[in-house]
This record gives sequence, C-alpha cells and structure tokens, in this order.
Amino acid sequence: MATAIKRTLPHFLLLVYVAIILVPFVFVVFSSLKESNIEIAEHPFSFPTKLYFENYVEAWVKAKISVYFFNSVYLAFSSAIVGVLLSAGTAFALTRMRFIGMSKLLYQFVLIGMLIPGNVLFIAQYLLVMKLGILNTHWALFLPYTAGALPISVLLIAAFMKSIPSELEEASIVDGLSSIGLFARIILPVTLPALVTVFIVNFLGSWNEYLLANFFISKDALRTLPTGMVGFRDAFQTKYTLICTGIVFSVTPVLILYAFLQEKIIEGITAGSVKG
Amino acid sequence: MRSTLRNPAVYILFVAPTLLLYCLFFIYPMLTSSYYAFTDWNGLNVYKWVGLDNFIRAFEDPDFRSAIVNNFYFILFSIFIQVPLIVFLAIMIGSIKRFQGFYKTTVFIPSILSTSVIGILWGFIYQPEIGPLNKFLGLFKIEPIYWLADMKWALLAVLITNAWQWMGFYIVLILAAILAIPKELSEAAEIDGASGWKRATRITVPLIRPIISVVVMLSIAGAMRVVDIILVMTKGGPVGSTEVMASYLVKRAMGVNPSYGFGTAISIIIFAFALILTALYQGIFGRNREGAEY
Repeated sequence: MATAIKRTLPHFLLLVYVAIILVPFVFVVFSSLKESNIEIAEHPFSFPTKLYFENYVEAWVKAKISVYFFNSVYLAFSSAIVGVLLSAGTAFALTRMRFIGMSKLLYQFVLIGMLIPGNVLFIAQYLLVMKLGILNTHWALFLPYTAGALPISVLLIAAFMKSIPSELEEASIVDGLSSIGLFARIILPVTLPALVTVFIVNFLGSWNEYLLANFFISKDALRTLPTGMVGFRDAFQTKYTLICTGIVFSVTPVLILYAFLQEKIIEGITAGSVKG
Repeated sequence: MRSTLRNPAVYILFVAPTLLLYCLFFIYPMLTSSYYAFTDWNGLNVYKWVGLDNFIRAFEDPDFRSAIVNNFYFILFSIFIQVPLIVFLAIMIGSIKRFQGFYKTTVFIPSILSTSVIGILWGFIYQPEIGPLNKFLGLFKIEPIYWLADMKWALLAVLITNAWQWMGFYIVLILAAILAIPKELSEAAEIDGASGWKRATRITVPLIRPIISVVVMLSIAGAMRVVDIILVMTKGGPVGSTEVMASYLVKRAMGVNPSYGFGTAISIIIFAFALILTALYQGIFGRNREGAEY
C-alpha cells in the first residue's frame, strides 16, 4: 500500500504540472472553434457546441495571418540555412585547415560575440540598419538574424568538426580532392547531425524573434508572425475567437516540427544556452 | 599533400563572409554603442559629447529606478520560487522509470514557442470578463480580478507567465545532469535505508550543484534582459508597475522623440548589471564550493 502511494505520487505531481502546461492550449483550441465571445463566456470549459471552422478561414485570409506566416517561414528558413552554411565553412577553415595561429585568434574573436546579450546591441543595430538604408525591408531582419546566430553556430560546428579523424581528410586529399571538394563532399555530410541541430536552433530563434521584428519593420505586409500576431490582437481587441485562431496558426507549425525532431530540438537549445 | 589545406585563398573564402557579417552586426554596434552612450545624439546630425550625463540622468529618474527594482523581482522570483520548483520537478522526473520521455517532452514545449505568442495566449487566460482563469476562480465565488490592469496583480501575472515559459527548459537541463549520476550511488543509499527525500537532498542535489548554479546564472542573465513579454502583455503598465530596464530603454530610445544616446547608455547599464551580478554570484558560489570540501 505504502509503496503504491510512493510510486504514484511522483506521477500525480508531474501530471499536475503537465496539466498546467497543456491546459492553456486546450482552452485556446476550444475557444478558436467557438462562435463568439458570448459562447466563450457562457461555456468557458466546455467543448464548442458547433465547430466554427469559419474562424480559421477568416483569420487566414482577412487578418493576413497567411502573409505573416510565409514571411516568417522564409525569413527563418533563409537566415538559418545561410547561417549554417557560413558557420560550417568558417568552422571548417578554423579547425581543419593549416593556419593554426590565425585560426585560434579568429576563433576567440568570434566567441566574444557570445558574451554580449542580443538586446544590448539593439539600438546600435537599429541605427546601423537605418544607415544601410534597409530599414523596413526583410534585409533588416535577415542580416541581424544570420549574424546573431554565427558565434554559437561556429562554436557548436567547430566542436563537432574537431572530432572528425584526420585520416578521412588525408585519404580524400590523396584521392585528389581540393579543399572545397573535401569540405563539400566529405566534411559537410559527416557533420550533418551537428548542422541539423544548429539549423533548428537558428530557425526557432528567428521564427520567434520579436524585438527587432517589431522595430525594424513597420509595413504590415512585411511583418513576421510574432509581431503580426500582436498587431492582430490589438486590431481584434475583443474578438477572442479570432485571436485564439491566430495563436493556433502560429503554434501548430512549431509543434509539428517538435513532434518529429524533439530530441534534436531539446539537444540543440540546451547545448546552445549552456555553452553560451 | 598538406598544401591543399594551406591554400590561403580558400581559407579567406571560408572565413571572410562570416567575419564580415559578424563585425558589421556585433563588433561595430558594440563600438558605436560605447561611443553614443556618452553623447546626446537623437537621430539628428548635430550632437555633442555629454560625458556621464546620460547615466546620471537615468539613475536620477524614479521611473528607471523602479524599473531596476522590477528586474530584481524577476531575479528573486526565479531564484526563490522557480529554481526550487525546477529542481524538485527534475528530481521527480529523474526518479521514475515510466513515461520519463513523455514528461520531458511535454514540459519543454513552452520554451520552443515565441514569447509574443505566449504573451497573447496568457493575455487571454487573464482576460477579466471571459478569460478561463477568472471563470475558474468564479466557481469559488471569487470576484473577477483585473490581472493585467491592476497594479497589485500585473507584475505577478507577468512573472507567472514568464515562469510558465521557461521552467520546462531548466527542468530538462537539470534532468540531464541527474540522469548522468551513476545509478550505483543512489541504489547504495537505498540499500543503506535512506528515504527518497534523503537521497534527493544528500546525494542528488549536492551532485548537481554545478548545473543548478548554471541555471541560477542563466536566470539572472535572462531576468536582466527580459523585455518581449512586457511589451506584449502590459507595455510596462499599469502606471509603470511592470516596467523593466529594457522596456524603459525601448520606450525612451524608440519613441516619438528618439534619444539614441540615452538609450545606448541604458543598454550599457543593463549589460553592466548582468556582468556584475553573475560575477558576484560566481564569487560567492565558488567560495561555497571550496568550503564544502573539508
């Protein structure tokens, strides 16, 4: 009897916490399918009486969630992929090419970037973007997102590349591969697991970024999901069914990604923060 | 054969784009920040060196001082409420055999979501008339509370949201350290008759102290630069009761009358606070660890 309690108590406590995490999402999904605020107010905890999928159509088309969504997808994707490729090239040069003194110096130099918390540079970056004449274009986000991910990406990929046995590259060079060939055909494929991790971390970072997106972009058509959603909420102040629909739209893709890649995502995000 | 890897042109090709972007968006802003902070630049071309005026003006402003206090509430809340809960829940997950993966995956979910969406989501939960929280409290005949509009509650409401977002992340960090502890240790203690509570406090916690201190330091750094959630949920209001340093910065620097010089000074203050507090914590913690050795 006592052991049974002992065994179920941790599960009970953990399930309470899991409920605290999940219940808000359940409310949002239910409310997104309800007819109006009145239905939310009158039956807050119950399943919607009739499923109003019209909310989804309305939010997607009228409220331009689709525009924000695609802006986010392509900004997050492009800055993540460019960031990974640049960092992989740099990590390759720093760890595998024979300029050891120079490489050590450059490596330390790039790591300085990890000491600086992002939003300390926020105003200076704003002024820079203004000077470059790219304020209110997607470049104003693409460049800082890509640059912001570089230090940690170089660090993680370089750590991985250091562990590749040198016999591999010696054999390839004997076979006549150039440095670029070695990088593209041997090192990159071997490094793929690290590249995927770094890609995911960078992708999520840009996908979720709010501060820069809010101040560097003011044209509605260029907004990303995080800022577009806030504008959307402010515009529909009182239509909670639509606001909940918007939340569902912006959360679902991340959750789908998470469902498939949870181990990679957890590994990447935790590695990224601790080493930083 | 080694000459292939000694080709300077290739080296430059691989290194230059990264360095260029990095210098442009990290090093250059860092340098300009440390310069503008001592000027009265407001976006116009005429500006002058004002020495420490921006820093003095900030610390003399009661709004900024109360923003600093709110940052400290974030730190205190995470160290004294979140961290104990995090350690407790991580030990719980570590102690069970079934569904470990499920718990780990689920508690981590909020940390992959955008702060702005989380702010909107909780804004709905806290909504006074139709929000589920007040509806739930209403079942116990509790009058509706204006969570985000009442000065008494707003900061607490934001702190809870912030904790909801980040606790799972830290739980997973600590769980990894717990699972790395050799099983023999706690099995031996169990045979010696140590209770679960004793095993947790005498074996697990001392062994994971390094990672707990990492969590504390990450929390301090996070509490210093918290801003998104404030901008999305309360914009610093009501009446400045949830204003933090970074939201104060954003308002003063990016408002209708921008003052970039003043803003960069604030960002340097935030940076300095984070450095000093983590150094301080490390100093105290380092001494503790040495003390525990004999």
